[in-house]
Amino acid sequence: MDSSEALGMQFGIFTVGDVTTDPTTGTTPTEAERIQATVAIARKAEEVGLDVFATGEHHNPPFVPSSPTTLLGYIAAQTERLILSTSTTLITTNDPVKIAEDFSVLQHLSGGRTDVMLGRGNTGPVYPWFGQDIRQAIPLTVAHYGLLRRLWREEVVDYEGTLRSSLQGFTLAPQPLDGVPPFVWHAAIRTPEVAELAAHFGDGFFANHIFWPPSHTQSMVELYRRRFAHYGHGSPEQAIVGLGGQVFMRRNSQDAVSEFRPYFDNAPVYGHGPSLEDFTSLTPLTVGSPAQVIDRTLGFRDYVGDYQRQLFLVDHAGLPLKTVLEQLDLLGEEVVPVLRKEFAVGRPADVPPAPTHESLLRAHRAAAGDSQPDREEGVKAG
Amino acid sequence: MKLTIITGGLREPSSTRLLADRLAAAVADEVRQRSGQRAETTFVELRPLGHPIMDAMLTGFTREELQSAFDAVAGADGVIAVTPAFNASFSGLFKSFFDVLPEHTLADMPVLIGATGGTERHSLVLEHALRPMFTYLHAIVAPRAVYAATSDFGESESSLGKRVVDAAADYSRLLHACGPRARRAEIDEDLASMQQLLGDTS
Repeated sequence: MDSSEALGMQFGIFTVGDVTTDPTTGTTPTEAERIQATVAIARKAEEVGLDVFATGEHHNPPFVPSSPTTLLGYIAAQTERLILSTSTTLITTNDPVKIAEDFSVLQHLSGGRTDVMLGRGNTGPVYPWFGQDIRQAIPLTVAHYGLLRRLWREEVVDYEGTLRSSLQGFTLAPQPLDGVPPFVWHAAIRTPEVAELAAHFGDGFFANHIFWPPSHTQSMVELYRRRFAHYGHGSPEQAIVGLGGQVFMRRNSQDAVSEFRPYFDNAPVYGHGPSLEDFTSLTPLTVGSPAQVIDRTLGFRDYVGDYQRQLFLVDHAGLPLKTVLEQLDLLGEEVVPVLRKEFAVGRPADVPPAPTHESLLRAHRAAAGDSQPDREEGVKAG
Repeated sequence: MKLTIITGGLREPSSTRLLADRLAAAVADEVRQRSGQRAETTFVELRPLGHPIMDAMLTGFTREELQSAFDAVAGADGVIAVTPAFNASFSGLFKSFFDVLPEHTLADMPVLIGATGGTERHSLVLEHALRPMFTYLHAIVAPRAVYAATSDFGESESSLGKRVVDAAADYSRLLHACGPRARRAEIDEDLASMQQLLGDTS
């Protein structure tokens, strides 16, 4: 049992995987350098005691992570404790059969240190590149995810539908590790349908929590929690919630602001828009000292309730590897230990800890023990 | 009866605001005479929203003051929209507001349009720029629009006054015919269709 399980919350980082020119030096990493830097960042995350590393999935420049499970498999081989996840895996444009296969293999390679965060993807041209249509994004999400669930849970799958070619007598190989599929998070920035989907299946809901004000995240999480209870998975407080977040730290908060400003001002997504000051007051972005990051992050609980996973974005907008590794040192040494301790204070006993392969396996065994004592052995033997 | 008046003037005093004020007052009069109802007017000035509108365009999120403006539009039974004419069209700020206004906000909304400009030679911006945009947004645009040139605010003011009253009379009939506007609960509709989809799979 690792410490994150004991304390209920997981902390980690998620990356977009952008190749961006450092605005302070004018240098741009090569794709090879960016990919190697990503691996170094993931290894560092484990070294400083974080629990989760998640990579985005993109199919167009200036991004490099087009094949997340290749990257995560490589990282799995170089780490021992880190949970490997995505942010997000495109449920719309990927074939659900391929997702099931890729993540099953990753699960086996990593010894169960695998979960997956599903998202729709909002880059229009990517859809036709994979034979899909962005206007069908929601129906695709529902149909593909419905099939993915069956592939991970039923030994022989027959499927007939309009969104993919039919399957007759298909058996996933390899089967999920220990007969337990990877835990699934559904991620959204602004789509209430995704909260509904997560609630329907009792899966986790991850709010992007980077671009929009806290009030927006609050209403999305509230919706998810309410619907989670409606579908009979537990009380609203027992729903599984993850949040993004974005920080830049130096010991002296003014140093953090002046160092981060050129990266913020030129960032690909929100650069040349609101000022750093406006953005930090309107969104969860925190630029300052570790103490400020701790205060702000602890405040997230005030509007989403006790939650299970906190991921920070720390490696984008052209920040050099050295700086990112320094951010991870501060996170691991000064921020996360305090967050673990403080978030545990007053956390009700019936709020579930963040799901892990071990916790899902225990639940799976308990359920199998109640109904079919022999089935689990059969799965193991197979 | 809730009326929201969107006005895109840039200077103070603004002839665009002056026209908006006159339209709002005339419509309130007509509404009172026609149905005895009191028109409750809310003005949305676009100039102070310039930065939030551009932030919304660049980052996709809405600041509080812009959200209040969106709420005032969404909650109205009728909208009066007035812009200065710039380069043969509405001003960029005016267009940008409607570019970031959440989709469907103006669907089925009775709208009275107006524009101002240096000379009357630009008056057809109402028909060539404003009307098609509001039609595209599924608003119900009053047939009579009002254009005011700088000279209208001078000696020949009587003609503008009559145009304002005539347009207000048309528009108040339209408001009366449309009645109180039913607010759509968009999120509930989205979720209902999602529940349908989920029901079909499980």
